[in-house]
Amino acid sequence: MKQQTKLTQKQETVAAQQTQSNPAREFANSDELLRFDAAQTTVPPEIARRLEKSVGDLQEPKTNWWQRLLGGTD
Amino acid sequence: MRHNEIHFVCVTRRGVVCQIGVEILVDDPIDAAAEGADRPVLELESDGFAELYQAHSREIFYLTLRLLGETHKAEDATHDVFLKAYKKWGDFRGDSSARAWLYRIAINHCSNLRQSWHNRNLVTGADESIWENAAAASDSPLRVLETKELGQRIQKTLDALSDEYQLLLLLVADEELSYDEIAALVGQSADAVRGKLHRARKAFAAHFEKTV
Repeated sequence: MKQQTKLTQKQETVAAQQTQSNPAREFANSDELLRFDAAQTTVPPEIARRLEKSVGDLQEPKTNWWQRLLGGTD
Repeated sequence: MRHNEIHFVCVTRRGVVCQIGVEILVDDPIDAAAEGADRPVLELESDGFAELYQAHSREIFYLTLRLLGETHKAEDATHDVFLKAYKKWGDFRGDSSARAWLYRIAINHCSNLRQSWHNRNLVTGADESIWENAAAASDSPLRVLETKELGQRIQKTLDALSDEYQLLLLLVADEELSYDEIAALVGQSADAVRGKLHRARKAFAAHFEKTV
């Protein structure tokens, strides 16, 4: 079973404050270092917007069946 | 802005088909897009897919960022991974956790991308044995004086390791994944993963010291 040392949001805030006041940090191992790095990484909001558009493009055109039947596009 | 539209709705229930005309108030699509322009959240009506993105986009973005090494590549890859997941979302049976399922898609996607780059550019494989025998022990603390450029140091360190070590270290750093899940993702036994992780951590520590 993996050791559970998940940083809570409060711990992350404290860590960030400590970083500002004292730039020296020590990580027990690469796991902890990568975990810290991951916690500091933010997902660019642009990805969600692009994904929403891509998914929208995948879906069928929203022309009603009776409009398609009559050859209309609006 | 909203406007009225007449819609014909087909309702099939117990073999009875009825057609009715209803007048409904709908959002103007242009205005709706403008309203959501500065909203980072994903708004999709697809059985919890938006929640899936909210819950797991961070770890998928981080994995692709560190495997591909550049933010714009990670953005493209994260988008592509979730688009693939969206297409397959209906087939996801829950045999594994959604997190592990997304990791699987992301690992395959990044692997394909890296393979195509490797084919275009001659890349020499990292010689792990040099670093496995280096002085740094895997349980030695990693000291960091300046966190500002920490990401660059980590990237430089990971880039110096083999693909296998990179992946193992990144996966094991996610505490939500069990060793069994990691083993399944890399196609090895849990014991083999533990053994390789020891060497990977040691190699990471040795490389990291050189990046100061």
